[in-house]
Amino acid sequence: MSVSAPALAPLGPGRRFGRALAPWARRLVLWLFALWCLFPLYWLVSMSLKRQVDAVARVPRFLFQPIADNYAQVLASGEVWGYFANSLIVATATTVVALLIGVPTAYVLARYRFRGNADYGFWILSTRMTPPVAMLIPFFVLYVRTGLMDTYVGLTVAHVAINLSIVVWLMKGFFEDLPGELEEAAFMDGATPFQAFRQVALPVALPGIAAVAILCFLFSWNEFLFTLVLSEDIRTVPVGLYTFVGYQQVRWGELSASSVLMLAPVLAFVFVFQKQLVRGLTLGATK
Amino acid sequence: MTSAARERRRFILLMLAPATVLLAGLTIVPFLASVAFSLTDYNLTAPGETDFSGLGNYLALFSSAEFWNAARVTAVFTILAVTLQLVLGVGIAALLHHETRGVPLLRLVYLLPMAITPVAAVFTFRMMFNPSLGVLNYLVRLFGLPPQDWLGTPGMALASLIAVDTWQWAPFILLIAAGGLAAIDEEPLEAAKMDGAGPVRLFFDHTLPMLFPFLAVAITFRAIDAFKTFDIIFVLTNGGPGIATRTLNLLAYKQGIEFLAMGYAAALAIVMLLVTIVASQTFLRRARLFKPKAQL
Repeated sequence: MSVSAPALAPLGPGRRFGRALAPWARRLVLWLFALWCLFPLYWLVSMSLKRQVDAVARVPRFLFQPIADNYAQVLASGEVWGYFANSLIVATATTVVALLIGVPTAYVLARYRFRGNADYGFWILSTRMTPPVAMLIPFFVLYVRTGLMDTYVGLTVAHVAINLSIVVWLMKGFFEDLPGELEEAAFMDGATPFQAFRQVALPVALPGIAAVAILCFLFSWNEFLFTLVLSEDIRTVPVGLYTFVGYQQVRWGELSASSVLMLAPVLAFVFVFQKQLVRGLTLGATK
Repeated sequence: MTSAARERRRFILLMLAPATVLLAGLTIVPFLASVAFSLTDYNLTAPGETDFSGLGNYLALFSSAEFWNAARVTAVFTILAVTLQLVLGVGIAALLHHETRGVPLLRLVYLLPMAITPVAAVFTFRMMFNPSLGVLNYLVRLFGLPPQDWLGTPGMALASLIAVDTWQWAPFILLIAAGGLAAIDEEPLEAAKMDGAGPVRLFFDHTLPMLFPFLAVAITFRAIDAFKTFDIIFVLTNGGPGIATRTLNLLAYKQGIEFLAMGYAAALAIVMLLVTIVASQTFLRRARLFKPKAQL
């Protein structure tokens, strides 16, 4: 192997193996990948602004006269509002319940050493790994039998079951990142464990709690399978969209407009809470 | 036991109680119910005529062609999708690590596929995949290639599903790999560079091994999720054409929710669960995710 001349590579820290590609080539690849990620979303928005003749033109039209008719039609029909309201109710209830139950658990797992701590953590995470059908089939039977089918309570219970593991797991990571000294000081002053949790740890953990709440809300908002099976009348956004397509196969403009409307809250979240989302979506593997 | 120790113990139990009760009720009880169902011929169309059937459902499952077909489709889908996402994710993360301009914007865009409502994204793909009116065949013709029936032929349908899954989840590996790259100790790299190692060699000999703990977690999570993919397949092909893209998950859905054959579907779900448990125990325990950092 020849000895390379270090003088040729005056690179700062953190920029080494990227030298395999010239900067312009690297940039090209990165932006091509961005284009690939963005294109379906762009296409959806452009479809939602097209007249029917433009939407189904044999040669797809990249330039066209944008119209708002699709949005007007969708909003006037009123169905979307119902889906929105259902999603909002279920996602909010899910988030509140999952946090009330999950945050204390996460705190104890992060702060207290006791036998079985790691096993408990693994058990919680393993419920996230469970194939949904393994839960869905008994849920379905139970709901059919008990009348929980088609109720907000039923949907919320199912969504909490799906999301609790994520809430605990992420929240545990947030608590672990906080310094324990504050609580130790509180103990010195004679605080009980519960007081240390309520009055010292919780206020400091608020940003983490907010981040986890957003994620929990988002996951509930996006959930499809359980909602599809456990409810016929209470349609949330994804299920509403799915049934909408059932009878509107070719009305691409309206379908797209509905999709864009339903994505709006999600996109708002992504723009505002990007960092928390990265951490949450990677299950805390990145900090 | 001192009173402080008693109080500490009571606190721990109290804090864990709600989640324990709820998760036990919502996961262990359903699991036990699934096991019980799977040993009977329970069918919701005739719930009164349920009989114990022992391992009958499992035997029927393992001797049916539809199970092995679904197992094969699931394996192909999972392995190809995760491999593709791994190569793409790590490659892009390595490039992004050296980029200096526009990184926040790029990261934002890369985040979109995994955050947006899957069903909405999948509908967009359905429009794009349309053989006569979709934008994909237009682009294909533009490059002088023959138009494809993206979701209508068995091999192509599976490939399309893998492409959509990769679109959605390659960013997952990318983000974890990027986090790993940022956390890597650069000193050994420095030394190797001094010894004259080229950038490609540096990456494979030094960076990749150090990145491995992060990738092990990413691959495990991704593989387990790919194994139980539902939304994409259900909305795009619903297992078709024929049974070409019917995974184990879709088969269980069809048997349980559409045909109401709860016993049979539960047996299938239990088999899936066992596969998942073995996979996650094997990889996650080793990935050292579970070192408690307890302080108090």
